[in-house]
Amino acid sequence: MAAPVLKALRSGLGLVPGVPCAVWRVPGPAQVRWSRYGPEFRDPLVDKEHYRKPETELTEEEKYDQELKKTQLIKAAPATTTCSVFADPVISKFTNMMMKGGNKILARSLVTQTLEAVKRKQFEKYHAASAEEQATIERNPYIIFHQALKNCEPVIGLVPILKGGHFYQVPVPLPDRRRRFLAMKWMITECRDNKHRRTLMPEKLSHELLQAFHSQGPVIKRKQDMHKMAEANRALAHYRWW
Amino acid sequence: MATPSLRGRLPRLANPRKTLKPNKPLILANRVGERRREKGEATCITEMSVMMACWKENEFRDSACKKEIQDFFECASRTQEARKMRSIQDTLGESGSLSPKKMNKLLQRFPNKPHLS
Repeated sequence: MAAPVLKALRSGLGLVPGVPCAVWRVPGPAQVRWSRYGPEFRDPLVDKEHYRKPETELTEEEKYDQELKKTQLIKAAPATTTCSVFADPVISKFTNMMMKGGNKILARSLVTQTLEAVKRKQFEKYHAASAEEQATIERNPYIIFHQALKNCEPVIGLVPILKGGHFYQVPVPLPDRRRRFLAMKWMITECRDNKHRRTLMPEKLSHELLQAFHSQGPVIKRKQDMHKMAEANRALAHYRWW
Repeated sequence: MATPSLRGRLPRLANPRKTLKPNKPLILANRVGERRREKGEATCITEMSVMMACWKENEFRDSACKKEIQDFFECASRTQEARKMRSIQDTLGESGSLSPKKMNKLLQRFPNKPHLS
């Protein structure tokens, strides 16, 4: 009795069983909070190579897609998207986290100065070192940046769970994006708060990044404190329900 | 025992039975109750304890425990995907009546009319 009612409702609302419907869509990971775009808008494709392909090399699918795009609505690309080879998503995210009050110019200049400072320090070390050590010194600031942040990422996190009127810190596996966020957040907070007032941010950041690259320093210590607390509270892991 | 009957339960002068005296008006709300969620249990406990034992031996250095950490991450991603599949199954395939969330959405669009016009 209920199944025909369900079918009538579905056809009444214009939904076909086989077609994915926009109204009951489960929010997937690509959705942005409170986006003003309706579900019919497509994401923009920012790719030079794709648009440079001559007409003859397109497959049937791509030709159909191109024709379809002429009639469909497309969202505006954000101002920060580039198809430049120098664009790095990790660096962009870090710049956004450093930014205060919308001053992206200042944040970006600080990050470029940091990378320059890292490179200068490494080159000084390189020129002062002997031949065997020169092979081990890493001079590419982007590699140092990525490796330092990867070393700072915590493996396990703590979440306050209410049980019996008390909050317990329960060890919990973290998703990748949360770990990357924590690494960057700890790095920035450490440089902003615990340093001498007169030192400039690029100097502080380059010093911290080099320390983290060698798995030393206060940010790594903070990560290890988190791991130690998780290890101490490992018996509470059963308070999780996911 | 079956649900007791509601016939003749309003307080009237000619009603000798025990009456119900509801504190809110007897009007259908525009929502149904949620399904009781199943009690889940904590996942990846074994991988976590193996990793923590490794940490205890090696003074919490990540470079010494790479394999255990990798296993822990793989377990976490597997459970995450299993949860997503289960939630998609719940939303897509309801046998019989609609799920409470969809029913509430429908009732929000077509609410009950407590007035006559």
